[in-house]
Parts: sequence; structure tokens; C-alpha cells
Amino acid sequence: MLRKALHAGIIGLLINGMIGSVPALSGQEQDNPYNTGQDIQSGEQLFGRNCSRCHGLEAGGGERGPNLRTGEFQHASTDAGLFAVISDGIPNTEMVGVGRNRSEQSIWQLVAYLRSLNSEVRVEVAGNPSIGEELYGGKGDCSSCHMIDAEGGRHGPDLSTIGDRRSPDELLSDLLTPNARVQQRWWTMRVVHQDGTEVEGLRMNEGTYSVRILDAEDNLWSFLKRDLRQSERTETSSMPAYGESFTSGELEDLVAYLYGLSRGIR
Amino acid sequence: MKHYAIFTLFVLLFPVSLESQDSRQRNADTNQPAPSFSLITNERLLNSDAEPQNWLMYSGNYFSQRYSGLDQINNENAAELELQWAFQLRALDRAETTPVVVDGVMYVTESPSNVIALDAKTGSQYWRYNHNLPEDLNFCCGRNNRGIAVLGDKLYMSTLDAHLISLDAKTGSVLWDVEVADEAAGYSKTAAPLVVGDKIITGIAGGEFGIRGFVDAYDAQNGKRLWRLYTIPGPEHPDNKSWSGDSWRTGGSPTWMTGSYDPELNLVYWGTGNPGPDWNGDVRLGDNLYSDAVLAINPDTGELKWYFQFTPHDIHDWDSTQIPILADSEFGGQSRKLMLWPNRNAFFYVLDRETGEFLLGKPYARQTWAKGLDEKGRPIRIPGTSPSVEGTTVSPSIGGGTNWFSPSYSPRTDLLYVMAYDGETTYYIREDEYIAGERFTGGGGVTPLPAATYASAVRAISPQTGDLEWEYPVQPRSTAGVLSTAGDLVFSGTIDGFFFALDGNTGEERWHINLGSRVHAGPMSYMVDGRQYVAIAAGNVLFTFAVKE
Ligand code: HEC
Ligand code: HEC
Repeated sequence: MLRKALHAGIIGLLINGMIGSVPALSGQEQDNPYNTGQDIQSGEQLFGRNCSRCHGLEAGGGERGPNLRTGEFQHASTDAGLFAVISDGIPNTEMVGVGRNRSEQSIWQLVAYLRSLNSEVRVEVAGNPSIGEELYGGKGDCSSCHMIDAEGGRHGPDLSTIGDRRSPDELLSDLLTPNARVQQRWWTMRVVHQDGTEVEGLRMNEGTYSVRILDAEDNLWSFLKRDLRQSERTETSSMPAYGESFTSGELEDLVAYLYGLSRGIR
Repeated sequence: MKHYAIFTLFVLLFPVSLESQDSRQRNADTNQPAPSFSLITNERLLNSDAEPQNWLMYSGNYFSQRYSGLDQINNENAAELELQWAFQLRALDRAETTPVVVDGVMYVTESPSNVIALDAKTGSQYWRYNHNLPEDLNFCCGRNNRGIAVLGDKLYMSTLDAHLISLDAKTGSVLWDVEVADEAAGYSKTAAPLVVGDKIITGIAGGEFGIRGFVDAYDAQNGKRLWRLYTIPGPEHPDNKSWSGDSWRTGGSPTWMTGSYDPELNLVYWGTGNPGPDWNGDVRLGDNLYSDAVLAINPDTGELKWYFQFTPHDIHDWDSTQIPILADSEFGGQSRKLMLWPNRNAFFYVLDRETGEFLLGKPYARQTWAKGLDEKGRPIRIPGTSPSVEGTTVSPSIGGGTNWFSPSYSPRTDLLYVMAYDGETTYYIREDEYIAGERFTGGGGVTPLPAATYASAVRAISPQTGDLEWEYPVQPRSTAGVLSTAGDLVFSGTIDGFFFALDGNTGEERWHINLGSRVHAGPMSYMVDGRQYVAIAAGNVLFTFAVKE
């Protein structure tokens, strides 16, 4: 059965807070005083409790908030700027700040956590990226689901800049345990219309009254739920786990290739 | 559960049943539900009038008539229009977007440069694309985006940082992203591109920054630039002499709206904006070609076939970036290929679009700057109307007799509909030094009397005579585009948030509603599952209406 997803209050939030400008701190260049490994861990916990429902569990982006892992922010460039965005929010958007009443320490810890997601330092990887590229297009058939630079399928995330978003370790776990973290955008769904039409595919978006699906032939569908006789939702990834079909050397090569897919490098 | 594994099979579902007037493809026998969106071929773009259920480009069709062939909503039932759904945009900036609809999928742009794909029937989202902009962006005239273009299964959009991007129409994945010009020098992009064949044709904004304008064509597949036509010719060209000294280098003449296309003549028409600096003409003596003009361009080569300059040596910021309306109609007792142009300088022009010949020109809004137009269409200026240090009050206003918001032409009524403004401005001149990336305007203007002194009107103009057939006054004023339909209705809106429908034959009002915020965009119409809708952005919300079922 479908669980009704209620997003009450979104419009209310959008209309509130129209007054005010993008926040700026007086101490623009202030560095983060809470920046130890411990702070980053606390920041991660705070993030999980307060922010992940919009920005995704690991800040990779969710249905209601953007990806915060790219290392580039639209609304801030400095740590102080991030502090201001988190405490004051972004006017006229769902990004409501945590408020200046929250302890400064916890806001700085959130900043430290967000910064840690994209350290400038690029890690050395063992694998061979050109072999990885061959595996990607060949044996792995990854391009049947993923796009890189406009080539490939639509049934998985676009990987053109995946190296900016995921570390080599994270990439390896993406390949070994695709089900570990599946954003709702990648859940799948099968519905049967009153008149018997059956559609199965990616659940692109779902609301109280309707649902949108991309089927295996890349057709876009939109259904009113009241017209559906039946619907099933699968909250696991359609991506196979690759631990068995690839040797550990091949996995390293794949990771090296994916990690190299970065805006900075190409 | 059945496993869901084979994905790459790409099934093309052709042809579309055009007769059904339905925006999705349905099995005609069983009337079963069918998927949305199908590939947009050049064939479909060329014959967009044959599928009025869709709105395939910014201005509706290549003639930019902003005319919908749908007649389910008409003079009999317009009073029963009611809200179907609303979509809240995330940006505070008021929307200037015109949605594009392809077989039940609506593409809406959001300030500054985002796209949302919606189910056109319910307003629910398929996907959203957020464009990342540089933080200290240097843009000219508002954080806006007016819409996308579509070809195949790809979308094309201008971005505020002067890039042109292509997105996958089904998922919003970025396919390519190219820099058109350097945003740091004041270049920006806000208008919907135009698809012609396998090319994406697009212009540039930044006329207040001393840029040098151009029209560009890009390869739809990979974003490679194929040609560039500068709107200010270089020193190798005789027309460069129409600029004193080196003033051509910073002469503006931007191309910040969308052009039109005549497939038979194979000509693209594009309007150009003001010469720079806007109000100080002393530093750029001459006619300042090809500012404030319409250019007729061969889309294959980028070659200029002809031009017509509306306001030579403009000193009031009267850009000619209006949407060029093409119409096949009678003129002088003959059927002719016309171009209809209510210009920001307050004159309405009829041109022969094959040759650029001037056929007719008459004021359609209040103006005090010209005695009239000579037989070639050149304005005869009234002395003493130039901006001055102490200020010179002239009509039309800086905003013009009309501006970028689209007019409309109905082939059924053979009338041109335009939102006209009878305003005035006190124009000032000052000295300005060109510094790359900074405003370069040489003056400015203020409204001398309280704004409530002036008013707008929807005016219906005959292409044969340039005479006013009827008008519908709008108080306090309007900056909204106009839509006409086969139901003989004309839709537009007001700055105080009204959206209304008029009888296209008489101008009589049929319906209005207050949407609570300024209408600063153009209306459009489409059909899904047999039902006609009209959509309009007001403030930062997109509203759709249909008649009661
Ligand atoms: C209700 C949903 C929601 C919650 C909860 C939320 N955010 Fe956001 N956040 C957003 C949205 C939406 C945006 C994008 C706003 C925009 O630019 O349109 C955003 C933007 C941001 C940005 C700026 C991104 C950029 O590119 O500049 C940061 C940083 C951020 N959020 C951090 C946080 C943190 C930290 C928390 C938890 C304390 C949080 N957000 C909680 C919805 C949310
Ligand atoms: C049947 C479709 C399918 C195939 C084949 C597939 N993937 Fe995926 N992939 C997905 C989906 C769906 C997701 C998102 C859900 C998830 O995280 O598992 C995903 C996620 C990923 C991610 C994480 C992306 C992110 O944004 O966090 C990576 C990396 C990845 N895949 C790489 C690969 C590689 C490499 C291959 C080939 C060896 C491959 N995939 C094959 C469907 C597929």
C-alpha cells in the first residue's frame, strides 16, 4: 500500500520570511573555532537530526534541499558565510535557519561537518582509471543506468562529477552495498491503472494525490492515485551489488575512474 | 515482484495523433492512459500550429504570434474560468517565465536560472534543475529567466551568468554547458533560445554595461558555436562609420529577447537593444547601427540579409528587443509576408519581412519626440527632446510605449494586440567613463508626476491601417504580455495582480481574477487529456485556469 506523504506547511514556509536579505556576518572572515575531528563528528550528528530530512542523510541532496557536498555553495563562500546561512536561513526558501539562539558551537560544528565533506585534498587511489573506464562501459554496463557527460541511461544518478561528491571509500561502498543509502528519487514503483494499464519504473516524485514514474523505456508517466487500482513501492536500489561480479582489483579500477570524474579535473 | 532491469531500449512512439487535440498519446481505441512527452522533431516545431494542445516554444510558434489554436475556452464560457492549480516558485524575484508544454509535461523556469518539469495537469513535479551561479555575479537588468527551448529530448536554456546549457528533458541532467560571454564584463542571458534546424540561436543582455551585442548559433548536439553575428559591425564594415571614434566598441546593442523564424524565407528575425551609453549620445555620434533595429539573418551562415533601424541614434533607452511578430495578411490589397512591430519608441511598424521595406508606421501610444516617420520609416525628431543636464520630459517613458513583454496576433481577427503605456520620463544626461564590468549609461530618468497619472491599455491594432480598433484601459498600468486564442479571447494582466480575459473582437471584458501579485510575464495555453488550460505567472507563483467541468 502507498504511504501518504504529507508535506503540510511547505507553502506556509515559502510565504513566511519574505522580508530580509541574504544574511551576512560582520566578522566576514572569521575562521571556524570548532574544527577538530570531534567537532566534525558532533556536526554530523547534528546534521542527521536537523538537516537530513531535506538535504539527505549524508548531505548529498534530497527532495527538499540541495546537495551540500560539492564544496561550492550558492549562498556563501567563507565559513562565516555558511554560519550565517545555517543560523539565519535563506529568505523565501524552505531553508529556515536554526536561529541565533542555538549555541554558536553547534552551528560552527555544522560548518565544520559540511566543510569536511569536500576537503580540497584529493586522495591518492590505487586503481587504474583507464581500465576502470573500460569496465564501466563494458562488463559493468554501468552506462545503461548512469549518464556521464550526456551519454548513458536515466535510471541512476548522473555521475559526470561524482568524484566531487564521493570519496573513494564511499564510491567503493556504493558498488558493494548499493542499498545502504537509497534516496527516494531512486525508489521504484509498480502501479496498475483502473483500466489495467501497468507501469513500472523509477518513482521520480510522489505526493498525496499523484505519482510520477519513469518507466524502463524512458517514458514519463503521471497518475492520479485515485485512478490506480494497485501500487507497490520498492525502497531498495535497482543497482546490483558488484562485490561478486568484480575482483577487488577491478573494483579499485572502477573507483579510480569514478573518483576522477570531477569538475576540477576535466 | 517482477524484476526491473532492461533499460536502454529506446522506444520512439510515433506518430503523434494530431487530430485528437490531446496532449498525451493515447491509444485511440481504448482511450487508455499514455505516457507524457514525446520527441520534438524539427517537423513538429515547423508545424506547431497543428498541435495546439502543446506550446512548443517561448512565443508559441515560429511566427511568435502568441496565439493558441485552442477554442474550448471562448467568449461563451470564459466567465466560468477557475483555478486548477498553482505552483510556488522558490525565488522571490517575480517570474517572467512563459512555460513550454510538451505532451503533458510543462517546463517552467525560475529565477535566477532554474528549471522545473511539472505534470501540466496537476502541477506536480517530475524534476528540478538548480543552476549554480558565481557568487559575485555581475548582471544587468534583473535576476530573471523567461523560458526554455526544446528539440528532440533536450532542453536549452540561457543562464544569468551568460552560459547556454542543455538539459535532458526527462531527468534534468546537464548535457552540456558553454560560456557564451564573460559575465564579469557585464554580459548576462535571460531569454529563451530559439531552435532552428539543428542550431540553437540565442542573444545576449548587458546593454547598460557597454558590451558589444551579438546573435549566436550553437550546435544543438554539443554546444559548439557555429557562428556569431555582431550587432555592431567592426571597422572592416562600412556601417561601422555610423559610430564616432571608437564608440562602437562599447556600443551595447544587446539582443536580450527571443527572435522569430520564417521557414519559407529561411530568415531569423532578431531585435536589438539600445546603443550605449544609453542617454549620452554625444560620445557616439551617428546612427549607431545596428542598435534599436530588427536584423534578418540567414540561420545557416549568420549572414545579415537586411536590417531596419527603428530609432537611429537612440538617446532614450528605447530598445527594439520586442518579439518580432510575423503575419501573412493583406496589405495594400495584396497578400503579403508582413512583420508587425509595436516598438518601445511608441510607433507601430508594418514591414515587408522579405525585404525589410517599410510599409507603414503610426504612433500607438503617447509620444512627444517625433513629428512622424518619413517615407523610409525614419523618425522626424522634434528639436529639444534630447536628455539634458536639467532634465527633458518626453513621452514615451524609459520603459517605452511597450517593452519586452510579448504582443499577440490572431489570424482569426487579423488584429495585433499590444500592452501599451502612455507614460513620460524626465531624461537626464551625464558624463560616464567606460570601466569594464560597470554600468555605463550616461544619464537616467525620473517619472515627473505621480505614477497614477499615467495608464496602460490593451490596444487592438489593424495591420492594414495601423489604426486602433479597440482598447481596454488598465489602471494603474501593466507590464504583462498578451495571449490571443482561437476562442477569440485575449488574455493579459496588470501590475496590481489582475489577470483578465477580453473578447478579441470588441475588447469587452469576459472575466478577471486577482492573483495577489504583479503579472509580469506572458500567458500561454495548452491542453491535457482533452481539457484546455491557460497559464500565467504572477509574482513568483504560476497559476493555471480552466473552465468548470
Ligand atoms: C525544510 C527543509 C530544509 C531543512 C530542514 C534544512 N534546509 Fe538547508 N536548504 C534547504 C533549501 C530548500 C535550500 C536551498 C535554498 C535555495 O537556495 O533555494 C537550503 C540551502 C542550504 C544551504 C546553502 C546551500 C548553498 O548552496 O548555498 C546550506 C549551507 C544549508 N541549507 C544548510 C542546512 C543545515 C546545516 C541545516 C540543518 C541545520 C539545513 N540546511 C536544514 C532546505 C532545508
Ligand atoms: C540497473 C541500474 C544500475 C546499474 C546497472 C548501475 N547502477 Fe549505479 N546506481 C543506480 C541507482 C538507481 C543508484 C542510486 C541508488 C543507490 O545509491 O543505489 C545508483 C548509484 C550509484 C552510485 C552513487 C551515486 C551517488 O550520486 O551517490 C555510484 C557511484 C554508482 N551507482 C556507480 C555505478 C557503477 C560504477 C556501475 C557499473 C559497475 C553502476 N552504478 C551500475 C542504478 C544502477
